[in-house]
Amino acid sequence: MNRRKIRDGAFLTLLWASGLFMLFVLASVLIYLLQRGGRFISREFILGTPGGFPLGSEGGILPAIQGTLMLVFLALCFSVVPALITAIFLSEYGRNTRFAHIINLLVQSMAGIPSIITGLFVYALCVVEMGWGICLLAGGLALGIMIFPVITVSCRDALMAVNDDYRLSAESLGASRSYTLRRIILPQATTGILSGILLGMGYAAGATAPIMVTAAAIMARSPGNLFEPIMALPYHLYILFNEHISMDQAYATALVLVLLLLLLNSIALWLNRQQERKQYR
Amino acid sequence: MRYSLASQRDKFWGAFFFLIALICSLLLAAVLLFMLKESWPVWTEIGAKSFLLATAWNPMASPPEFSIAPMLVSTIWVAAGSLLIAAPIGFACAIFLAEFAPAPLADILRPVLNILTGIPSVVYGFLGAAVLVRFFERSLGWSSGESLFLASLVLALMVLPFIVANSEAALRSVPAEYRYAALALGVSKTHLAIHVLVPLARKGMLGSLALAFGRAAGETMAVLMLAGNILLTPGSWLDKGEPLPALIALELGSAVPGSPHYQALLAAGLVLVVIVMIINLLLNNYLHTARNEVNRFE
Repeated sequence: MNRRKIRDGAFLTLLWASGLFMLFVLASVLIYLLQRGGRFISREFILGTPGGFPLGSEGGILPAIQGTLMLVFLALCFSVVPALITAIFLSEYGRNTRFAHIINLLVQSMAGIPSIITGLFVYALCVVEMGWGICLLAGGLALGIMIFPVITVSCRDALMAVNDDYRLSAESLGASRSYTLRRIILPQATTGILSGILLGMGYAAGATAPIMVTAAAIMARSPGNLFEPIMALPYHLYILFNEHISMDQAYATALVLVLLLLLLNSIALWLNRQQERKQYR
Repeated sequence: MRYSLASQRDKFWGAFFFLIALICSLLLAAVLLFMLKESWPVWTEIGAKSFLLATAWNPMASPPEFSIAPMLVSTIWVAAGSLLIAAPIGFACAIFLAEFAPAPLADILRPVLNILTGIPSVVYGFLGAAVLVRFFERSLGWSSGESLFLASLVLALMVLPFIVANSEAALRSVPAEYRYAALALGVSKTHLAIHVLVPLARKGMLGSLALAFGRAAGETMAVLMLAGNILLTPGSWLDKGEPLPALIALELGSAVPGSPHYQALLAAGLVLVVIVMIINLLLNNYLHTARNEVNRFE
């Protein structure tokens, strides 16, 4: 009897340890970054351009922030509308049909494509074959392809979660499906859809591999031209570390990037919770 | 028929949405076919067997040698190693969340897992390279810390949240009757978890591992910064290596478009994506049978 108690106790301790371990990982990442990078974050760092020799060892990261925002914006332009349409097909028009099953499977397989492969594809097709060169547009496209399945799946789930009673009531009142969709289902699912889009934005903002081969440059002073290379936060961080330019700058850049993603993901989580509350009411 | 009143317009929109959805999804086929087309000479001239199984990658030699076997071994080693580390912790954490965690703690842990998945891979890679590598160099006296093992360690942290989330979902999908029946028989909660819930959720939990394997095998930044980037076949977990994603990321920019080197890189990408997709498809089939099995018990 005693032995079993000890065994149960050991098992429970293990479970608690593993649960607390996850907390520990997040806390240590955040605290360490704050500690090492926090004191380098200043107005000049956020709003300045890289300087010093080697380039990037002093100055700020404004072009990288702008570049990342532009890449994310372009990725959204490429992905949100197709993703929303696909999600609407999966949850409304094609629900439980064989077509929906196939498209579901395809979207799921797309979600599994490694991000470097998306970059490789866009590099071979757009940068080389179509002659765009390394540029913002190619990076945006690569990120768009990458987040398309993410947004599709979360929008589909948001739409699916809308109570079926609404659909049945609307139908029994003789409303057409497109009317029901526009006036009832979509408004009900807005928060969930927004949360999915934010999730996609965070994913795009942090991705390095796809833009590394399609869009990123070590230095680009005036971002904004679609056919010019661009700086981006994650790639900037990689370069600062990998070329041994400046560890302090690297920590500060990593902190900015993590804080940005923390913000995006927290809003996404919060919206998701709002949506769930709405559903249970 | 349920929708006998559906108007012509609804039918039109249905077809429209289907068409767009189909086009978007067929992008997947476009990616695969385009990469196959671009890398075609590799398969016909070098041949699949020598490309996959010979031992040297040396694009600068004359004649250049292209074989991805060393990278393939590194990829599998790194990914399998990360699962070896992540699986025990992930399963334990999933059981904890599903059965034992007090509600307030679970309410903190779930968002924490979500936020952990949101931290970009380059940050994990950076922290791993800046902190762990140095730690191993200093404390164990290794001449240089980068190794497949360290890459696995950091990848393990990255895939942990996925393993936990999917395994917890699998544990929760076990019908409540089993729980009540077991508790009514007077078994302890730990016994219930180990001997009833885990065996029933076994398939879903293994499925989460397959998913994590795909993620780890396709991850670029962490392995690029941690695995050491040496084009040799690794002999042990502590050796350096260069997994496929790192190879592509490092060499794509310098490969002349249309050259055998460029084609070989595209072929390497094709191999990687095919491996990951086969795992995902098998997993999909597997999980379907898993769900049926649980239903049969009901």
